[in-house]
Amino acid sequence: MSKTFLCKRSDVPDNGLKECEAPGNIKVLVADSGGEYFACQAVCPHQDVPLCEGLYDGAVLTCHQHLWQWDIRTGAPIGLAEAPLECYKVEVDGDSLYLASGSGALEMGELFSGIAGATLEGIRALAKREEFPAGGTLYNVGDPADDIFVLDTGRIEFVIGRDERVSPAGFILRKGEVFGWAALLESQPQRIAKATSVEPSSVLRINGKQALQILEKDAAAGYMVMRRLSSLIARYLAPSGAK
Amino acid sequence: MKIQVNARNRAYQFAAKPGQRILYAGLEEGIHLPYECGSGTCGTCKARVTAGDVEDKWPEAPGRKVLKQPGEMLMCQCVAKGDISIEVPSFVYAMDPGACLPSAGKGIVRNPRMLTHDVIAFSVDTEAPCDFDAGQFMLVEVPGVTGFRGYSMVNFERGTRRLDFVVKKKPDGGASRWLFGDQVEGEKVSLFGPLGTATFFPALAKNLLLIAGGSGIAGMMAILSRACQEHYFDQFKGHVYFGVRTLKDAFFLEELSAFRRAFSEKLEITVVLSDEAVPADASRYPDLAFDHGMVHEAASRGMKGRYQNMRAYLAGPPPAVDACIRLLLLEARLTADNIRYDKFS
Repeated sequence: MSKTFLCKRSDVPDNGLKECEAPGNIKVLVADSGGEYFACQAVCPHQDVPLCEGLYDGAVLTCHQHLWQWDIRTGAPIGLAEAPLECYKVEVDGDSLYLASGSGALEMGELFSGIAGATLEGIRALAKREEFPAGGTLYNVGDPADDIFVLDTGRIEFVIGRDERVSPAGFILRKGEVFGWAALLESQPQRIAKATSVEPSSVLRINGKQALQILEKDAAAGYMVMRRLSSLIARYLAPSGAK
Repeated sequence: MKIQVNARNRAYQFAAKPGQRILYAGLEEGIHLPYECGSGTCGTCKARVTAGDVEDKWPEAPGRKVLKQPGEMLMCQCVAKGDISIEVPSFVYAMDPGACLPSAGKGIVRNPRMLTHDVIAFSVDTEAPCDFDAGQFMLVEVPGVTGFRGYSMVNFERGTRRLDFVVKKKPDGGASRWLFGDQVEGEKVSLFGPLGTATFFPALAKNLLLIAGGSGIAGMMAILSRACQEHYFDQFKGHVYFGVRTLKDAFFLEELSAFRRAFSEKLEITVVLSDEAVPADASRYPDLAFDHGMVHEAASRGMKGRYQNMRAYLAGPPPAVDACIRLLLLEARLTADNIRYDKFS
């Protein structure tokens, strides 16, 4: 992405927020954090509430509507938030701030964001980008569960059951969301759902066995990924909200 | 009518009766569809119709401002015209096994009485016994005014057949105009509920901070009732801040004084007057403290350094709730899961 002018440094209050518009009607929220600049998507991934109306203390951004929170440096969700923010690199040139590049699906991903650089590079090297047209099948019930997938763009829907007796089993639509995670689990050799791209979609395909080999060499990253995987699975089973 | 809801995590099927709003049909089945006000103003129950037709009972609902894509609608206002499939863009779970399942019912208005020049209290005797949790609200539809309004229950009893409410007069509110009229006693109203997730359970085992503006004190009274019934304040502290304009606008001061007298060691209650300095006749309520200013400012002054192990409940006009959220997150550094409120009015 070539660099795009966002705003003047003086437009962003100290430890404050400023909503900017980039070409193509993309709204970006620019934040000052102790003199460093960060940028992220301008609306809450929950219900599209403008985040510039939120609360910000120079480190944590809170959407005032339902108190979803994020680390402004990484976009990683904190507390009640159920999804990360898409982040952009900001380049400072004199008094001007420019949008440099957006975060990739892996960095934003539910499993791999924040793990050590070399390990993340190893995972990135395994990742093969694949494009699916509207109506494409990524995998079917009974297929071998060898690979995990990270969504970049588009939308994937899942269906369980066979023949006429099928039932929808959820869908994913956010950049960085992971599916097909059976490939990281023991004794889950086959797909239990059918995955279809209902609109043109771009995904990263990562071989599960090879990813596990990389994670075995970096126990800290492996531990983090497995913890996240277990919360991800738990999220499909039960609500996280305690009384 | 069969309704299929495709959520992010799974699909649900349930039946809706003719004319029944989709949200209410799902909630009755114990499916925790997303909602906040349940009455057309907030837009939280947005969903997209993917097959079939719906009829919108309130095409002018203010909550429709959140609708952007074709096929989107508010589940709290729409009725299925046949079998339909809809998509909800969030995770949806079954309600807790211990939750009070909402249902539709009828009730009779009893004992309407003015508490101040613009606040009315009334009860609704329900046809059937009703369970709700402390802090929940009920949707009420009054004769001649289409659509539901949410009112928090003031009382707290299991299996009760009486719901107590308190309502502030709104110049442009149809339901409010009806309630403040003179033909209310004995009239039949429709109910749906209980609703709301800003609930208190004694198993919480944390100190309580209750901040309310005006009629927002209603749900706090239910929380105080439950806490006092179960001697919660033998063990945990309670701090109540009740904001009103002037002493003449305050109500429930006798009831609050009684709570305080029963647990004077750990429960403190401050009435905060925004539009006047504390008048001399506030001394008629020796069990209560009084302060002058905005309710969140008084709470900020009174609570400094005392937020340990705290759960806060907020209610009142949206600007007051927002100011309290700001205080509790940025100054008190409470975590978001310990700040509870329902934006339903």
